[in-house]
Amino acid sequence: MAGLIQDIKLFGEDIPWFQGLREKGMEAFRRQGVPTAKTEAWKYTKPRDLNADDFVMNDSAFLAEFEGAHEEEHSGCCHHHGENCHCHEEGCRCGEEIDVRVDLPFDGYQLHFLNGRFVPVYPVLPRGVEIMTLMEAVVTQEAKPYLGHLVDLEHYPFAALNTAYMEEGVYIRIDRNVKLDKPVILVNHTEADAENLFYNLRNLIVVESGAKAELIEWYNYTGAEKSRYFANVVNEIFVERGAELRHYKMQDEAFKANHVALNMARVRSDGFYDAFCLQRGANIGRNETKVLLKEEQAVAEVNAAYIMHGWATLDTTTDIEHLAPETFSHQLVRGVVGGDAKGVFQGKIHIAKHAVKTEGTQLHKALLLTDTAEIDVKPELEIFADDVKCSHGAASGELDEEILFYMQSRGIGREEAKQILIDAYLDDVINKVADVSVRAWLKDRAGA
Amino acid sequence: MTKTPLLEIEDLCARVGEKEIIKNFNLTVNEGEVHAIMGPNGAGKSTLSYVLTGKPGYEVTSGKIRFKGKDLLAMAPEERAREGIFLCMQYPVEIPGVPTTTFLKHAVNAVRKHRGEPELDTLNFVKMVREDGKALGIDNEMIKRPVNVGFSGGEKKRLETLQMSILKPDFSILDEADSGLDIDALKVVADGVNALRDGHRSMLVITHYQRLLNYIVPDFVHVFADGHIVRSGDKNLALELEEKGYAEFVKEK
Repeated sequence: MAGLIQDIKLFGEDIPWFQGLREKGMEAFRRQGVPTAKTEAWKYTKPRDLNADDFVMNDSAFLAEFEGAHEEEHSGCCHHHGENCHCHEEGCRCGEEIDVRVDLPFDGYQLHFLNGRFVPVYPVLPRGVEIMTLMEAVVTQEAKPYLGHLVDLEHYPFAALNTAYMEEGVYIRIDRNVKLDKPVILVNHTEADAENLFYNLRNLIVVESGAKAELIEWYNYTGAEKSRYFANVVNEIFVERGAELRHYKMQDEAFKANHVALNMARVRSDGFYDAFCLQRGANIGRNETKVLLKEEQAVAEVNAAYIMHGWATLDTTTDIEHLAPETFSHQLVRGVVGGDAKGVFQGKIHIAKHAVKTEGTQLHKALLLTDTAEIDVKPELEIFADDVKCSHGAASGELDEEILFYMQSRGIGREEAKQILIDAYLDDVINKVADVSVRAWLKDRAGA
Repeated sequence: MTKTPLLEIEDLCARVGEKEIIKNFNLTVNEGEVHAIMGPNGAGKSTLSYVLTGKPGYEVTSGKIRFKGKDLLAMAPEERAREGIFLCMQYPVEIPGVPTTTFLKHAVNAVRKHRGEPELDTLNFVKMVREDGKALGIDNEMIKRPVNVGFSGGEKKRLETLQMSILKPDFSILDEADSGLDIDALKVVADGVNALRDGHRSMLVITHYQRLLNYIVPDFVHVFADGHIVRSGDKNLALELEEKGYAEFVKEK
């Protein structure tokens, strides 16, 4: 069986509350189906490439490990890195020295996923930080007060699908008042054998009251340049009272890959959720962020940049719900679109009836490099309260010929001049990233 | 001593859109010479500077331009710059988001690379900009700002002069270099320009007023009207023009 719905056995089917969530997810997905071009939320990003019959899901790595632990020898390669594997099959990578750490110009607690599967190598963590697989958090009931609490299954079909297949992913908890010294880095690596792979990833991040943390997600690939795969990611994020989470994402998927992500964040009083996503690559790449500013003085910054050529569609969709008085949100999105590519920005600010003295701003700007490049922008303001400050703006333009000539007349080659201008254009939003070394890395990746 | 021609313009005709602006223009500038081109507004002086630097939209319909013996018209704007042509613009362009240092470094290294010189590292680049900038009153703070953004007229012209100073072009075109400058700023710019006069480098000073030529003294003065040179002389011609105006050169319409 292949396609987005597959009859596969997953770990944890015997845990009623958890299996119940999966079943609700599947019901909700079956009710809605894969969005079509007629689905309002997907009218610009045509989802047809996301609904292919030949997508294949990974077998459960957790079941394999679980079974492996109970048998003396199990037949067939478990396809899962683990010290307990004794299959000796050709190509089995189990038991190898696992060195998955990637070189990054900044230090951090690295966690790795390979073709959608968690690589069980854990960094040494300081006190007050807990990281475990989602399955472990389910078995220990750690995840129970949070998992599925934020995702609206009826309006997010891919998140419903993700819920139906919840298994891979991590649970990260930063304890009350702990200020994490280094970022937690989730490296999601796709390798050559990922052709037709469809994987779901579900992460749960809880930043307890007064705690501070930085989370970096990096989706990248090697040897999978031409692989067509589909990553469906949901992050559920809880920023508790007075807590702070800086969430930076670099979506660097292969150019035929599809990447759909939903970041669902809830921010309590005096909490701060600061998000930045840089999108490159991918056939369809959608990074959707919904923030619930639940209590007074909750603040969200949701910024993004995208840069693309070829035939890509990169989509930034936001929905900021101001649910309490004196909540603040700011969004800045900048895109550079070349080739026959399409940039999509759908930005919504919702201000609930009693959410007075609230401020919500939004600005999208795009640079079109070719005549065939396209952008579609849909800002939406829903304001039900008086005494609020709200603004939105959108602009698009081309590289200024006068500027290009000026630079050329100083000896700078035309292509080099364009790159300087593109870098400068994106710098404006990448500079919003507070972590200086991450910022430099993102600038480097944007220009690569 | 025979002079080496640097720039040779022969029977040049050029237009912008449908409008013929340069008509059978001839001029030879030898190494080390400073030529002034004076003329009434709208005569096509700026057009000439854009034709020489290859700005898109300025179409050469006939004639030849040789620079160091090479066919200038076959070169892209950046190639002309790397070969040693520099245009000090009347209205320098603002480049939002690009720090002046970044811009200067790219320009200097593009030109150096073309000349077969090693690219400058940040340290040596900063040193050079600091030294050349000092004489022009350009400080560190100014070059950290985006190129020309929020610069006063005087600051823009000083930055143009700094670029000329660090790129060391063989042939500089100064297009209304004095416009918008008070007398003190004018002296600073003129000093910067004069510092480049070494007997080999040449210049074309385009100006409406004689004032600038008191500070950048030309070897030759040409009157430009109706698309070509109508009279040539030495620096005294400029004084004569100042007194009499351009009326006798402008055709009755």
